Formats: sequence, C-alpha cells, structure tokens
Amino acid sequence: MDASTLGYEELCDELSTLIANFPPPFIYINDTVCPRIAGSIVATLLDKIERTDPGPSKRVHFAKVNAVACFTARVLYDSILNALTKWDPDWNDGCANWSLEGDTQRYNENFDGFIHGLRAVSSYLREKVKGKGKGKERMKSEVDDVRFVIVVERAERLKETLSELLVPLTRLAELTQLDLSVILLSEVRWEDIRPPLGASPDPYFIDIPPLSKEVIVQRLTSNFTPSNDLSLGPYHPSLKGLYSHFAAVLCDVCYPFTHDPSEIEYIAAARWPGFAQPVLDQHQRSLADDMDLDAAEESQLRPPPEDIRMRLTRLFNASLSAALEELYPRLTNATDWAAKNKPEPNILSAQPSQAARGKDQPGKSSEAAALALPRMSKFILVAAFLASTNPAKSDIRMFGRGLDEKKRKRRARKTTKSGPTKVPQRLLGPVAFSLDRLLAILGALLEENDVESRLPAPEFSIPGEYTDMETSRVAVYSAVMELTSMRLVHRTTPGDKINGPPSFKCGISYDVALALAKQLSIPLNDLMWDPA
Amino acid sequence: MAEYINLDGQNQTTFTIPFTGDDENDGGTETPFPRPLHYEYDLPEGEKLRIDAYTAAWRKCLDRIKSIVRALHAPIASEVEHAIYTSYDRALPGLPYPEIPVIGITDPTSSSTFLDQIAVLTDSFDLEDTSNITAFTSHLYPNDCNNVMSAMKALISGFVNRPHILDKGKGRSGISLANYDIEILSAWYTAICNTYDLTEQRQPKLIVLLHDFEQLDPLVIQDIFSISSLYISRLPLIFTLALSSPASPSYLHSTYPRSTLALLRFSNYTVPSGAKVLEEILLQTFFDSSFEPDIIIGPGVLTYLADYYNRHNSSVDAALNILQLAHLKHFSGEALTLIVRSTPAPEALSQDTSLPFIEELLSRLQSFETSSNANDRNWTKQSISSLIAATDNARTDMYSRARRLRIGFGIVKLIQDFMTSQGYKGLDWDNPIKGIGNIDVMISALRGGLGSDVKFLGTMVKKLKTSQLGTLLDSMHAFFNSLPLVVRSSEEEARMNLVVAINALPPRGDDDVTGASSQIAANFADWLVKYLNGLLTPLENVPLWDIWYTGASLFPSSLINPSVRATVVAGLLHPHDFTDRKKDEARADPALWELPDTSILFHRYLDSGKMLNIYDWFMAFQQELETQRKNLKERASGAKSRQSSPRKRGGKGKTKEKENAESEEDLERWQLEVQARFVRALQDLDYLGFLKHTGRKADHVQRVVFDMHD
Repeated sequence: MDASTLGYEELCDELSTLIANFPPPFIYINDTVCPRIAGSIVATLLDKIERTDPGPSKRVHFAKVNAVACFTARVLYDSILNALTKWDPDWNDGCANWSLEGDTQRYNENFDGFIHGLRAVSSYLREKVKGKGKGKERMKSEVDDVRFVIVVERAERLKETLSELLVPLTRLAELTQLDLSVILLSEVRWEDIRPPLGASPDPYFIDIPPLSKEVIVQRLTSNFTPSNDLSLGPYHPSLKGLYSHFAAVLCDVCYPFTHDPSEIEYIAAARWPGFAQPVLDQHQRSLADDMDLDAAEESQLRPPPEDIRMRLTRLFNASLSAALEELYPRLTNATDWAAKNKPEPNILSAQPSQAARGKDQPGKSSEAAALALPRMSKFILVAAFLASTNPAKSDIRMFGRGLDEKKRKRRARKTTKSGPTKVPQRLLGPVAFSLDRLLAILGALLEENDVESRLPAPEFSIPGEYTDMETSRVAVYSAVMELTSMRLVHRTTPGDKINGPPSFKCGISYDVALALAKQLSIPLNDLMWDPA
Repeated sequence: MAEYINLDGQNQTTFTIPFTGDDENDGGTETPFPRPLHYEYDLPEGEKLRIDAYTAAWRKCLDRIKSIVRALHAPIASEVEHAIYTSYDRALPGLPYPEIPVIGITDPTSSSTFLDQIAVLTDSFDLEDTSNITAFTSHLYPNDCNNVMSAMKALISGFVNRPHILDKGKGRSGISLANYDIEILSAWYTAICNTYDLTEQRQPKLIVLLHDFEQLDPLVIQDIFSISSLYISRLPLIFTLALSSPASPSYLHSTYPRSTLALLRFSNYTVPSGAKVLEEILLQTFFDSSFEPDIIIGPGVLTYLADYYNRHNSSVDAALNILQLAHLKHFSGEALTLIVRSTPAPEALSQDTSLPFIEELLSRLQSFETSSNANDRNWTKQSISSLIAATDNARTDMYSRARRLRIGFGIVKLIQDFMTSQGYKGLDWDNPIKGIGNIDVMISALRGGLGSDVKFLGTMVKKLKTSQLGTLLDSMHAFFNSLPLVVRSSEEEARMNLVVAINALPPRGDDDVTGASSQIAANFADWLVKYLNGLLTPLENVPLWDIWYTGASLFPSSLINPSVRATVVAGLLHPHDFTDRKKDEARADPALWELPDTSILFHRYLDSGKMLNIYDWFMAFQQELETQRKNLKERASGAKSRQSSPRKRGGKGKTKEKENAESEEDLERWQLEVQARFVRALQDLDYLGFLKHTGRKADHVQRVVFDMHD
C-alpha cells in the first residue's frame, strides 16, 4: 500500500473504478478537513490510470487545475487544454498555447471556443493513439477511445470568480458530446455553491470523512523517510521506532484540536529534531567516551531503550502543546520554532522537575514593539480604544471635569437581574466613532496625563488652552491618517466623502491598549465604562 | 520680491510665500530666498552669497546625516540580504509541503527607501558572471493591486520585462498565454535557466517586493500567495513585505486567515527607529569631535526637534526637515550670515554699496571688543583687510570653541559610559523614569549647564580604585588619540597631563598601601574638573557668535505643525495679517467694515449666543455693509484719483456709484447684492465647519466655536 494514500483507500477504489468503467459526467468530492491532500491523491491516481495500459477500457487523459490560479476564463481554458495535451508553453516561442497545426482558431476567447478546443484536443489525441497502434488494426468501436477527466481544485472559488462558468462546466459532457468527466474538489459542500434554479445536474457525491487518529499516526510514521547518508541526524534509520512512538504521543496531544494530517505533520517536523537530539547527543558522548574500543557495531546508533523513551516523552510533553499553540495559528514558523526550542544539552541527565520550560512570553515583545510609536500616536490609539469601547453618552461622565467633584460615576453593576447576561462592549468588538469624538477624548487624556512632559509655552495662560491647541495641530490629524494606513485604526467612512467628519474604528486589542496606557501612565480601567 | 518674514513671531501662524514669475516657465524661475528682517546693511549680491553659504552648509550636514543613517541601516540590510539568499536552504526536512519564504521588514518610518536599498542589493543578475547566486526583483505597489489580474500582471512583467537578458519570441497574442498567467513566468524562468545553463545551485531567486503592505488589498494578496504556493517547487519566489505597522500585534497575523498563513514561512526584521536613531544622528553630527558642521544648532532648535520627534513623528525625514528649516531660518534671518564660510574679498567690500555692511560688521565686532579687550579701538582707521582678518579670526575662534565643547562633551560621555560599564549609576543619564535622555544632556551641555555634573564626575573619579582608574585613563588616552590630527594638537597639554597620570600610577596588581594612587586620583580629578569646565563654556561670548550658532532662538514650529483651528480662526479675525500689505499701514488695526465679508460675518457670529437667528445675523451684516458702502463712497470722493481699496471683495459696481440720490432700482440692486454676499459668506463659514444645522428651531443654526480669546 502506498504511504500517501493511507486513509484514502476508499476514495481511490471508488474513483478508479468509476473512471475505468462508466464515469459520471460530474463528480463532486468534498473534503472538509484537508482538500490539499485529497487533490494530490486524485492527481496521482489519475496519473497512474493515464500511464497504465488501458486494456479494455478507454485511454484516459486528465487535467487538474486550481480555481484560485485560474481567476479568469481565459486562464482556465488555457490551463485545461494545455494540461490535457501535456503542452508546455515555450518562452522562445512567445508562450504559444497548444493548437492544431495550421489551425488559427482561438480556443480561449469564449466558452464556445473552449468547446471547439476540447473537440480538437479529442481528435488530436485520437489521431496520436491511432498513429501509434497502426499496425494493430484497431476495431471500429474503439475509434473514439479517449476519455477526459478534468479536476478543478478549490472549486468553491468558481462561484465568486467565474460564476457564469459553473453551469456549463458541470454540463460539459453534454455540451461537448465527448466522453468526459468533470470532478470538482472542494472543502465546501455542493449545496453552498450550487447555482440557483437547478441549472446544474446533481453530481455524483464522494465525501471524504476526517481521518481517524490511528490513521494519522500511521501516515506520520510512514512519512519518516530515513536519510540515506550514514551521518547522525534526526532521520537516522535507527530512530524510526522512536519516531512512531513520538508520532503517537504527538497525535494524542493534537488530535482534539485539529484533524488535518498536514498540520500535525508540520508540528512533527518542527518538534522531531529537538526530540531526537538528546538521543543523538548521548550516542555522540558514548562514542567519544570509548574511542579506544573502536568497534564498528559499537558506533552504530541503536534504537533507544524503553526507559529513555519514557523520559523523553515526559520531558517533551509540555513542549508539544506549546508547539501546537504557536504553530497551529502560525504565530511563528516551524524552522524558527525548532531553532528556538532546542533542548538543553544534557537534558536526559537532568532531573525532570528542572526541565526548562522554553516558552517566552508573547506580551513582552508586544510592549517593546509598541514603543516604536511616537507619543502622540500612542495617546490617539488609547483615545480610539476608549471611543470604540465606551458608549458615546457616557463620555461626559467619564471625562467631564465639572466644578462639582462628583465625577466619574460609573454605571452601577446590576448582578441580580436574570435573563441573558449582557456581554461587555470590549468583547463585542469596536464601534465606530467620529473624528470629533476622538479628538475630544484625546484632549481629555492629554490634559490629565501629558501636561508635565510638554514644552513650556508661556503664551497659553487659560487652563486647557494649550491642550486645545495641541489637539487641533496638523501633526495630530496626520498621525490619525498614519495610524489608519497602518490599520491600527480603521476608517469606516469612504475616503472621498467630505461631508461631515470621518468616522473610525479602533483596531487594537484590549491588551495592547492596556500596555500603551501603562506606558503613558493612563489609568485605563478607570476610564472604561465597562471595565474588565 | 518677498516682503520680510518674521519667523520669530509667536502670534503669526501662517506666512505667505508670494508667487513670483509667470506660469509659462515654471522650471526656470528660482524661488526667492527670504529676505532678513534687517536688510538695510546687506551687500548688493548678499542674497546669492547667503544662498551659496546655506547650500554648502546644509549639504555638509545632510551628507553627514545620510551616511549615519546608512550606517545604522547597514547591519539589518545585510541580514535581510543573507536571509533572502539562504531562505530556501533553511527549510526543515519533513514538512508536509514547501512553504513560501516571506520576509517582513518592519520600518515604521521610511519603508520604501529601505526596501529600495534591499532591491538594489539583491537584484544582481549578471550576464557576464553567472557563477554566483543571483536574484531578480519585481515590485508590487498598492496601485497595481486593485484585483488579482493586475497584480499578477505587475508581478510577472516585473520579472520578465528584461529584454537585455532574454528576449521574448514572437507570438500571436490571441493564441498564446495571457500576460497575467503565472505559466508565463514559469516558461520564462525555464528559458533563463536553459539559456544561461544554470545548475540547481546557481538558479536565480525571484524576489517580490511588496511596498506599503498594509495598503494592499488582503483578498488580492491572499490569492497571489496561494497561486505562488502552487508553483513554489518550480519558481523560487521570495516575498519581501514593507510593513509600517509595529511588529506586534502583527498586521499579517491579524489580517490574513490561517489558511493563507499556513502557506508562508514568515520571518520579521525590524529596522532601527525611535529615539535612539535621533540620538545617534545628533551625537554624530553635532557632538562628534571628528566632524565640524558649518552651523552649530543651538538648544532652542534641539529642544523642539527632540520634542517633535518623540511626540509626533519619529522619522528621520521629520528630523531632516526640522534641521533644514533651522538652517534656512538661520541664513534668512540675518544678513551677516553670508560670511559663514568665508569673508567676501576686499574688492567686493571696498565698493561704496558695501559701506553699510562693513559698518554693521564693525559695530558687532566692536561691541565685543569693548567688553573684552579695550586696547585696540580705532577700527575705523584700519583697512578693510584687517577687518576681514578680524572676521576670519572670529570664525576660527568660534569653531575652535565649538570643537572644545565637543571634546568636553565627548570626555564627559566617555567617563559616564565608563561608570555605567563599571556598574555605577554615574550621572544617571538615559533614565526613562526621570525622563532624561542623552538629547537633554546635549542640550544642557550647549547651555553650559553641565557644571554640577562635571563636579560630580570629578568626585567619582577620585573614589575610583587604582585598576579602574588605569582603565579609565587608558580609554581617555585612546579617545585623544582617535581625534583628528588638527584637533589633537590643540589639546596637547591635556594629553601630557594624562600621560603623566598614567605613568604615575602604580603597576596593576600592586596592593596600594601607601595611598599614593588615591593621591594621583585626587590630583587627576581636580585637573579634570578644571579642564572640563574650561572646555564646556557656552558659545555665546565669542565675537559674532550668532553668525555660526543658532543659540537659544526658537524653532518656527508653526511652519511644521500649525494648529488648524487656531489658524483658521486667526485668519478670519485678522485676514490682513495673512496678506501682503504695505509696510506703512502694517500696525494699524483695520475697522470691521474694512474686512472681507466672511470676516465680518464671523465677527458677528462671535457676538451671538448659542443659537444664531439667521435673520438677525443678516441684519447685523447688512448694517456693517451700509457702513462699508458709506465709507467707501467718502473715500472715493475724497481721493478720486486714487483707486479704491482693492482688497474688498465683491465690491463690483459700487465704485461707479454716483453721489446723487440713489434711484429705486439702485437700491433694489444693492439689496440683492447684500443678500448674495451674505449667502456667500454664510456658505463659506458653513463649509469651514462653524455652523451646525440642528433643525430644532426654524431659521436658527447652532454655533460651534466658543471661547475665542483673541
């Protein structure tokens, strides 16, 4: 059994039987977890069918295209026709498409041309086969012995980019009157992209279920390709046993979160070198210790014993979930992660409790990076956060400083009230606010927290006058625009609308706002209507 | 010719730069250099001399700063270059599918320049020598990326449009691949590798540089990434992103879905930015003993620069703008600045027209002579050449003073750095809690405010251990040796003292029982304090100091960062301040009727309550216009020959009004005109945002600007 089709045997059997006998004109394959793998399996399968001698069935030619790459009809037609004829456009030839000799017809102009193109391809391929088998005197019934299979990956994209082609593509066999089968492959169900009014025929459905944990472990283990050179490396043949053990442990950790085998493979690729490193180190050390023995079989790396295996598992178990947390959302890439999370040199001899938790705090880096903004931009971001989180009618109470000092009376929390609990605005996402409101809140923040750090300006004598000047400066407006272009603040009104003030939404999270406020020594929680 | 411009004015927030020259030849006319406040004693060709001096001085400063910035960028640039070339060698074994290497360059300030620097470094395909690893680059700008088709077209044509490397074969456009099909790139790449016979290792990389990455449509870029990912085994594409948003929270991670991120191998590099960059620039431009700027920037400008940089715009460009404006202001504010680099030749000065200039120069020189040296007072008797000599002396004197100041600052900084490296707190510079940075120290050095710091350093040096003192003396010796030869020779005495102190120290490792070394340390510290205090004298007591030193003069901040509302209100209240007006009527405050309509309306607006009744407003406006009409009529009759004031707008048809009783028709026309002018002015105010239409009360608008204290 081929390693790559592990877990997909059913698909292979069904599809190869179909293609070999009487393929339905329209097949829809749905893989909700990992269509990439399904796509490559279908491609290898069709390639195999194409290469093998057809026997009693027809000669199969297939084309596999990606609906993202084929974002216009022309590219789609070109790709299908060139793939069916195995035509490679040549640069020196002006990148010409496949065409019959002496034929000047364009096949990529419209769908009609495409149908003509398919027919031309069909007769061309038939001729080719005929030419080959001249001596054999083929029977008349086998004259039209070509069968096309067209696979479209990421078919859900057809609905957006080429929606007008969806119906004709699904009826392609009908339209061309050729022996042809169209396979759409997608992670979306057919119901979600089906054209309205029943314009398309119902497909033959093939649904691929998510792989089970055992199959993923098998796939992982079978992917262990021992390196050919005899030098010590994590992919040394002797470590295969350890690897299968590692794969099982890794799947135990990851399977509840993702069923995608390629994601688990990705994490495995990042963690395995570190996992195997202590074993390799130990071997290296033992080699160095008994140099004098110099026996050939002694220098061979042997599979580690059971107790080492157990210790490795215990040592690395925490880092497996750490890897999942960082690598699954791609907060960092596997190469960097593997480099950063190398195990301590003598981790095997250390006590398990002393094992270092090689996790660095993500909060640290965010604070350092936010430092790069100018001071006024930080104030604007905090003001934008407050404007997006607090309701507008609370502004006077939160920021107003009247003569009577009964300020900042926050809304009383009602805990006894039954019914659905109200979700704080902070968790509901930012609301839009106008530029004027932003500037007003900015002024309040500056007046309270920025007065000491300003340059002296004796010409401003009235309280608040300096702040007033500051908030209406050109640099403030340009900072708002700059932050908008950095997407730290989102503009919600179109840029060409000059009637009325523009409105914005805050683009930073509570944690970033809190870090910024801390730098500026603004008591953020006191200023929030609905604090955490 | 431009009127004088008073850049020091605190109330004036805007300046007009009148257009001179005609529309036809834009390129040919030179912008006039602003004329100084007191230009009575200017030389005839003074303007040109000042422009030359300004250009030379600014060029010198700019080149220096550019080279500093380049040096600051160099390490990160080479790091990125290395990352680009090795990006395909770094892939881990065992990955499920190949990833696209993506390199993010976080540069909050000048993203494009750095990316261009990278492009120049990496676009290195050499026809002659194909033995090195090379790369091609293609640029993608936000304008190219409105949809996938145009983005792909731009990306592909950026690579393949290189006829000098590989010409495209002729083909009919209809039957060949579309020019946005990535197959074209693939075909081209195969052809390149075949034509130049490139093996696996030497195949060039394909670098795509995405400018202003935040501006690019994420949906388009997602598709580009997924298309590229399909071809990554055939085309070694590398994406380089110019990010201006901070590295964390990462824009890429917050905007793009996981499915796209899973295709990429993203690594980020951050270009240095922030306060440290400015510090480095100032330190190496104005406080480096091996570089001499023509103009010494004073504490006034530096204070503003530091504040603006930290508060509003932390980019090198902003700092350059401010420094350039400071140069410009210095040269345009004082006529004598034409002698900054060299004194005019005696022939030029001996002409009659130069007499006021010579007198002014003389009086400036003499004002210092009287205070410091009263021996030689008969300047007027002496020849012009001796005046020139005196000026040259003043220049040399000034520059050597400045040099000594820089050396002094350098030594203080050296000792401070030494103290920090030894684990002492030292002078507690660069303490973010106290809000003191190195820039503040530079400013206080220029102000002559380092005296107590020097004293404190002296005390600290006294208490140093023998070995520590030895190290300090050695590094100071090295500092003197690193000075340029000219500078070093002037500090010969200090070096002698240093060498003496070094020699007097007991050899290392000896136990100091006698206390001899503490005696040496005390002696040395005393000398050091005296020496440093001698070096760190303010620059303001040298003859003609204000020619080379901007001193405490403030930076015209309203040129860079004016307050929009204050400026608009000031414009409405005092419109004449913003226009070119004759000098004789400069200070007379014009009466209300002399102002433009919008201003009249605005004045009345300020007198109102919270809500404005439009009709009352109109009546008040009409009343003022009646006064205006009457006054204009009087003026016209008073001086018939003179043209009526051209500054009144909308005054068409009034000047020709007869003095006799107006007819009914005229009156009606006048009424109409007043209405039209009112509506026009009202629209102006509405457009400027002074009115709020509430709709709550008929014929009323709400006032939005209050508290005008002007």
